[in-house]
Amino acid sequence: MSMVGLPANFNARRIALQASFWLVMLILLMTILLNFINLSATNQLSAYDDDWNDMSAFRQDIKDMGIQTNSLVSSPLLLGDIEDPRNTTYILAGVERDTLTLPQFDEDGFITIASDSGYSPSEINAIVEFVEAGGTALVLEDYGYGSSVAEAFGVSYMGDQVYDTNYVAELDFNYIWMCIQENPCGMNGTEIDPSTLSSHERWANVGEQGEHPCSLLDGESMTEAEAGLCTQHWNSGVIEYNGTYQMLLNNVTGLEKIPGVRGPLSEVAVRAMTSNGATVDVNGDGEIQFGSEITPATPDRWGQFNLTIEACARTSCDPSDGGRIVFMADGSALINAMYDYEGFNEGKYGETATLMPANDNRKWAMDFIAEALMSQLEGEEGEPAENAMVIFDESRHPQSALAADSYNTVYFLLVYFTGEGLAMLLLFLILFVTFEAVLIKKRDPEPWRHVFSIIYYGFGDANRYAYYSKVEKIRQVFLSKVRNQNGLNREEFQGMQANELVSMINDPVLAKFAVESNNRYTLEQTVALVKRIKAWGRQ
Amino acid sequence: MWTRKAAFTFTGGIALVLIGMMISNQQMMILGLSLVAFIVVNSWISGHGDVEVQRTLSADNLYKGDDLYVELLVTNRSNRKTQMLDIYDNIPHEMKLRSGLNQMQLNLKPGESARIRYVLRCPLRGHYSIGPVSLRARNTFNLGVEDMYVDHHSDIVIFPQIKDIEEAFLRSRTPKMYTGATTLRTPGQGSEFYSLREYVPGDPFKNINWKAFARTGELMVNEKCRDAVTDLYLILDSRDLARIGTVLKNPLEMGTVSAASLAAFFLKRRDSVALAIYDEKLSYLPPDTGDKQYFKILSALAGVTPKGTMPLQAVTNSLSGRFSRGSPVFVISSCEGDGTVPAAVRDLVGRGHEVTVLSPSSVDFERLVSRIPRMSYEVLKLERQNRLTTLAGSGAQVIDWMPDMDLSQALMQVRGY
Repeated sequence: MSMVGLPANFNARRIALQASFWLVMLILLMTILLNFINLSATNQLSAYDDDWNDMSAFRQDIKDMGIQTNSLVSSPLLLGDIEDPRNTTYILAGVERDTLTLPQFDEDGFITIASDSGYSPSEINAIVEFVEAGGTALVLEDYGYGSSVAEAFGVSYMGDQVYDTNYVAELDFNYIWMCIQENPCGMNGTEIDPSTLSSHERWANVGEQGEHPCSLLDGESMTEAEAGLCTQHWNSGVIEYNGTYQMLLNNVTGLEKIPGVRGPLSEVAVRAMTSNGATVDVNGDGEIQFGSEITPATPDRWGQFNLTIEACARTSCDPSDGGRIVFMADGSALINAMYDYEGFNEGKYGETATLMPANDNRKWAMDFIAEALMSQLEGEEGEPAENAMVIFDESRHPQSALAADSYNTVYFLLVYFTGEGLAMLLLFLILFVTFEAVLIKKRDPEPWRHVFSIIYYGFGDANRYAYYSKVEKIRQVFLSKVRNQNGLNREEFQGMQANELVSMINDPVLAKFAVESNNRYTLEQTVALVKRIKAWGRQ
Repeated sequence: MWTRKAAFTFTGGIALVLIGMMISNQQMMILGLSLVAFIVVNSWISGHGDVEVQRTLSADNLYKGDDLYVELLVTNRSNRKTQMLDIYDNIPHEMKLRSGLNQMQLNLKPGESARIRYVLRCPLRGHYSIGPVSLRARNTFNLGVEDMYVDHHSDIVIFPQIKDIEEAFLRSRTPKMYTGATTLRTPGQGSEFYSLREYVPGDPFKNINWKAFARTGELMVNEKCRDAVTDLYLILDSRDLARIGTVLKNPLEMGTVSAASLAAFFLKRRDSVALAIYDEKLSYLPPDTGDKQYFKILSALAGVTPKGTMPLQAVTNSLSGRFSRGSPVFVISSCEGDGTVPAAVRDLVGRGHEVTVLSPSSVDFERLVSRIPRMSYEVLKLERQNRLTTLAGSGAQVIDWMPDMDLSQALMQVRGY
């Protein structure tokens, strides 16, 4: 007979139980993960998607400049690993979801659990350190979770919608104009009054503090390709630098400097603001009711509100002098619909009935990138620096695909456990325990060995030995021997007289032992009696 | 299944990757990834257990103490090499490996075969099964093992030993007892010549007397005397108490040896032998002659295990009606823990049976495994002697069989007590 090998541990019941166990584990894991994965959310503000509300055009322009672009899908903790922060720009557009609530060390060294703040203390710390190390950051946010980042630099987002008289009439009051200048621009009817347009001191004054690097090329003749990072100022073979910006924003909120808070960057300055007639819908009822005082009847605010704030290490805000971070009060300032309004109007991002007005969003964004990443080397004017890189933070954007969201979450956990101090300690502990578990629990299969085992066990009844050394038992055995020896049955033996028994035994010692009821014998006497009984009857 | 080495390598690899990420050390991460990749790639290069196994035994039945020659033929039926494949033939722990090994590590090419030969000593009677064949496939670097088995069994029966019994030992006070087949002066199946008669169609040619044919010219056949046989009844005590002693030396083992030897002796003489075994129930093999009965008795004795507390009188009450009149009965029992033995023996003797009680001395067997105090031992022996004296007084022949005594010797000491 011959057979073919089967798995030794094949057990259908065991396999079914294991499958059930892992199914339950998967369901539990999914239940946990689904708390952090928003399946119904539409993704937007992503530099890697090309809908009208994404930022693919901005990213494509950066790539066309020869600058490397990367996405950060896990956690800003990775910013700490960037080797050349000076030539890196971190762009955070819309923080649409909160971070996972995990324990970590706060800045005072205590264990804390971050919640409802968008970023964990460690992540905010990583952003701050990145900027302090010379990096450039742009935060485009309005009503999301990005306020925690701003607060680290002494700035806060108001979180309520700001309405301005400088709104775009052909669209609606949600669209407003933001002019990057010291004094707000004004309207003339439904258009911006050109006479109110001016430039900002930061990027306008050539040869002075805060000059824009493209301004150095103003008037120079070159090809469009040679213009490099200053292409947005190139016109008909000549660089025509212009430091005025008329930016289109949508559903903006306001920015405020937090009084008394000094962030890591000392120079915090407002770069753009609303007109004097702007209002804030504090109670969010869609109606504006304001007065000289804030009362329940007039809860809303009126006045001038900041739209862009820049924090720099030095007054010059020169990237070579230290890092800087720009906060803008609109998360959608660079979406394709507004950034690439021409393409949007042509239907490049889908059919639309709305036409976006011409704006300077692209120009401003390109100038921002140019200032941050243009090479400082002589002869390389207009070219990006060698290690120039733009990082888009995608970690707080819900993904449309379940797998992508799960991947981001897992990646986040990986970065958390390898970047956060408390988690690293925990990971060390887990690794230690895992090693111990492997050391203790993991066993190689036993080597096969035939063991012959039959001779090392036996059976007996030791409990009866004491009984057989008792005088009564010895007497009973002796009397049985006497009865057998004389061929008597039990009845006959029971019926005998004592003197008959004595004469039958014919041994005074044994006769006395048989007849007496005395059980008090010493051990020696008992041994002697047994010997005598054994010998009795042989003669 | 991963080996410990693989688990360590994998855990170490993961740890290096994570620690490398913590301290931003790419070399460490690459080393960790290399270890993990090594494990993964290694798991692809695994052996298999797709082999065919054929086991050949030198015999299907053996006597206790004999040697069994086993040959295992392993053939790789797959188109792949087996890699490191451990083969282990599972053998009962009651069997002793006398020579050779029941395992081997092989690396068989496709279609290649290998033979494993070994010899087993079988010191215990019983029904045994050799197999299944365990396989353990190891992959390269011994990082993973997979255990499998080939469900291939070979059954073998180990009969009790047969001891030589000389006829003289069995002669008893009844001279014609135990003399085997005796001839009756009537024609029939037998061995001795009875008469000549004329051939009738259907008579076997071997019975034709050719000399008579040559002399008379007519076909004549030899007729034989019918043999009369003696029915012998063996009653074996297999109660739980019969296990007292060691596994190799206990009343039951000695009882099976004596029952088998007596059966062999009488069946050889063409007597009919019956066997009754009582433990928790009664098993009865009716009297019969020949090799088939011999095989049945040996098989029954091979499978006997000590259990139960059935009294002897229940056995005799049940069977005595079936016993042939005046036939000899052998009771093989330590007579321990059964108060009905004297009554049962007396009943059998009263029915005219020649009863022989072969009683292994359980006290002395117990002494092999327990340290019995001297005085208790003497009293136990006295009590046993009383018991045997009672049986002798009932008219039975009683044999007190000591552990170190051969069966022939024991039978010699038949005495009347």
